[in-house]
This record gives sequence, structure tokens and C-alpha cells, in this order.
Amino acid sequence: MSVRETVPEVADEAAVWATRIDAGAVDPNNDAALRHWLEEDPRRRGALLRAEAALSFVDRARALGGVVPKPSPRPIWIRRKLVFLGAALAASLAGVLLLLPGALHYSTGLGQMLNVPLTDGSVVSLNTLSAVDVTMRAKAREITLVRGEAWFQVAHDVQRPFVVSAGRVRVRAVGTAFTVYRQDHGADVLVTEGVVETWTAGKEDQIVRVAAGSKAYVDEYDSAKLTLVTTDGARALAWREGQIVLEGETVKEAIAQFNRYNTIKLTVADSSLAEEKVVGQFRATEPMRFAEAVSTILGATITQQGDTIQLSPARRH
Amino acid sequence: MAQSRKDIVAWVGSHVLPHEAAVRAWLRRWTGRGQDIDDVIQEAYCRLAELDDVTHIGSGRAYLFQTTRNIVLEQVRRSKIVRIDNVTDMGALNIDDETPPLDRVVAGARELQRVQALIERLPSKCRRVFILRRIHGVSQREIAKMFGISENAVEKQAVRGLKAILKALEGDERTAESQGENHERSRDRTRSR
Repeated sequence: MSVRETVPEVADEAAVWATRIDAGAVDPNNDAALRHWLEEDPRRRGALLRAEAALSFVDRARALGGVVPKPSPRPIWIRRKLVFLGAALAASLAGVLLLLPGALHYSTGLGQMLNVPLTDGSVVSLNTLSAVDVTMRAKAREITLVRGEAWFQVAHDVQRPFVVSAGRVRVRAVGTAFTVYRQDHGADVLVTEGVVETWTAGKEDQIVRVAAGSKAYVDEYDSAKLTLVTTDGARALAWREGQIVLEGETVKEAIAQFNRYNTIKLTVADSSLAEEKVVGQFRATEPMRFAEAVSTILGATITQQGDTIQLSPARRH
Repeated sequence: MAQSRKDIVAWVGSHVLPHEAAVRAWLRRWTGRGQDIDDVIQEAYCRLAELDDVTHIGSGRAYLFQTTRNIVLEQVRRSKIVRIDNVTDMGALNIDDETPPLDRVVAGARELQRVQALIERLPSKCRRVFILRRIHGVSQREIAKMFGISENAVEKQAVRGLKAILKALEGDERTAESQGENHERSRDRTRSR
């Protein structure tokens, strides 16, 4: 047998068959060449269905009135448009009845990471020790970040704003991607795509827009008290891949990151060692690797006792 | 009783195909890198093609989400096609189609607009053939006569138009480009088979 065709190649051949069937040149139920083609590769039957369905889809477009700007008499066009609007309206009324009251709850334990696809096409990624409640309504998508950190890639839908509540902090997006990380008295909001609006409950008049590449700390009582810094979104999202990426963080800061994920806690015994800057990429669940790297590069000594790995300056001989 | 082939094609065209772009985008986000979405979508249509009746399917959109999800899960179980670290928690996945009907209408309308824009961008001969054939229902033979070209040439233009439509229904090209790495990988894998 020849080299297996790629999916696009199968699709192209299917387009030829679908066109012939449509033109009446081939009988789909009784054509030897077509049957032979279909039997050679089981994927072809699906590709043919898709190609024929695409033609039917375009025809449906014509029925809905207006895929192609055809110079048809204006009144007819308007009437078609009205029919379409009527259908949409009826559908929206039905939508109200479809309100789903129940919230779905997702959470992660220490060191876990969870990707949750939502029914609207959005995705929520939970970092370690995090929890969200998700409520999908006809007119709103409501997410509560109960604890921890979550990244949201929001499917575009202007009809249903996507609002994340983190304590009293609110973040609203239509179609964008951002992270919310709960802190003791507020939340960090880091935007990796598009723009979000953020505010504190009760201060709806103080909405602040945060654009991609920026991180804002939003205070739980005063959204005006906001600090904005530019940040590398890709690096800040390394946790989604289970990674910790260090680019000049101090040993102390790096240790704090590792300790978010692991039962085994890193500590540093020496303040000058704690302030050394490190660069590197590690799996979040491998604190020992990090300790070994620090030991090798900075000449630190590693002492493990129970659930603690302690880094101390090299002994002087 | 089995439905006619034509009815099934029409149903797929109006209830499944308009949601393909959304499902693809969702698959991309859900599975991250290393997932051959083309293969998954292809397999979903194969499963549809095996049905001789689709009247039991309430929502084409939900069906497509559910089927692609099952296919990905089966791939995970069978092989290493999918990066396991991205999909370990798929048990938590819950796809009831709670998208309000209005959104589904809007999704359909959005796809129609996309197709419309695409038809307008087709090369002129291809566009005229496509519009005559699809919108005005003129036969290929008559189109050949009108243009003074062979029927074979008309078919070529019609195929070209359909290919462009199929591509457009996959969804936003810009999103696809950002997944360039994906395409590289899937191509490599296909070759090595």
C-alpha cells in the first residue's frame, strides 16, 4: 500500500467526489469507483460526509437569506431577515428556560494541576491547591476562585460576559486569557491575551482595564489601589506545563514557588545564599533537582531531614 | 427506520458542521500541544457516517463535542498520541450541551458569514461558477456552455470552491497558525507511519 494520506489529502479527494455526486455525475448508492475509493480507507467515508454536508451547509445559507449579496428585490430580503430574527428571538426565550442553576466545582490538591474544558469552549487551568466554582447561565458565565490560582482562556461570547470573583475582586472578560491568583488581601490578575476589566465588589465605578502582558494587584477593598507591572505571560504560565521557570529570581523566591507544589519543603539557612539569583527550568514537583542545581552552581550543601530539604552555604575546609 | 442519505447529509450540514470550528478550538485548548485535531475530527465524521439514522441525536453540537472527547480518550488509552500530562484529569470533563439555543443560532450565523466572506474572496472564475451552481442551481453542463469551457473545467472550479469552504469551516486561520508546532508534529507522525 502507498504512503498513508494526510487528513487534508483525504478531504481534497472527498471534495471531488462530493462535487460529482452533487452534479449528478455519480450515484452515491451505486457507483463502483466510489465504492472502491471508500473501501480503500475507512477515513474516506467520514471525509465524504463532511464534504457533502459542507455543500448542504452553503445551500442552507442561501435558504437563510444572504450568503451571497444577490441583487434580489429588497422587500424579500428584509422579510427573510425578519424571519431569521424571529427565530433568534424565539431561541433566546427558550434559552431563558435553560438556565442551569447548579455550579460545578473543581479543585486541586498539593502539587496537582488540572485543565478543565468548560461547556462554552473556555478552558480553566487550576494550579496547585486551587478551587473554582463554575456556573453557566444563559446571560452570564460566573466563576468563583475559591482559593489558589487559575488561568482562564475565555471563549469569545459577547452575549455572556465571563466574570471571575476572587473574594471581593472581580475580573470580567469577553474573549481573552488571564490568570487570577488569590492573595491575602486581594488578587493578582495577569493577562496573557486581550483585555480584562477588574474591580472590587462595591466599587463598580472604579473599573480598571488590564491589557495583555500586564499584571495588576487588585486590593480587596480598593480597586483604585492597583499596581500594574509588565510581565512575561509565557513564563508566568509555565505552571500549566508543570514547570517552574526561573529567570533571575532569588533562591528565596524560587523556594517559595517550589513549596507551593510539594509536601517536601525547601528552606535556606543563610541570608546571602537566599539572595543569590538563579536561572533555570525545573519540574515543579522536583524540589531536589533544584536543590542539586543550587548545590552545583552556588556550592551549597544539601541536608534532608524528613520533609525538609535545607540549603546552606558550603562548609569551608 | 433508516433515514435517507440526503437527510443525514443535510442534518450534518446544518447541525454539526457549523460547530466544527468551536470544537476544534476547544480541542486545541483542552489537549494543548501534541494532539492531532485533524485526525480526531475526521474520526468523528467517520462515526457519523456509520449511522443510518440521526433522529435520536438531540443536539449536533453536543454530539460533536461528546464524540471528539470519546475519541481523544480512546487515543489516550490506546497509545501515546496525546500528552498524558494534559489529559490526566479528563474524568472531570462534563459536556452537557448547555449552550443556549440563541448561541447556537449565532454560531451558525457566524459560520455562514465566514463562508460568505470566503466566497467573496474566491478567484473570480471560481466564484462565478460556485455562485451559479450553489446559489442559482445552474447545472454544470449549462455553466460550461455559458462560459464556453469544458464540463471538466467547471467541475474543477466547483471542487476548488468546495475545498476553500471546507478549509474555512475548520475555523480561524490565525488560531491555527499559532498552533504551527502542532501541525509540524502531526505531519511528521503521519509520514512515519
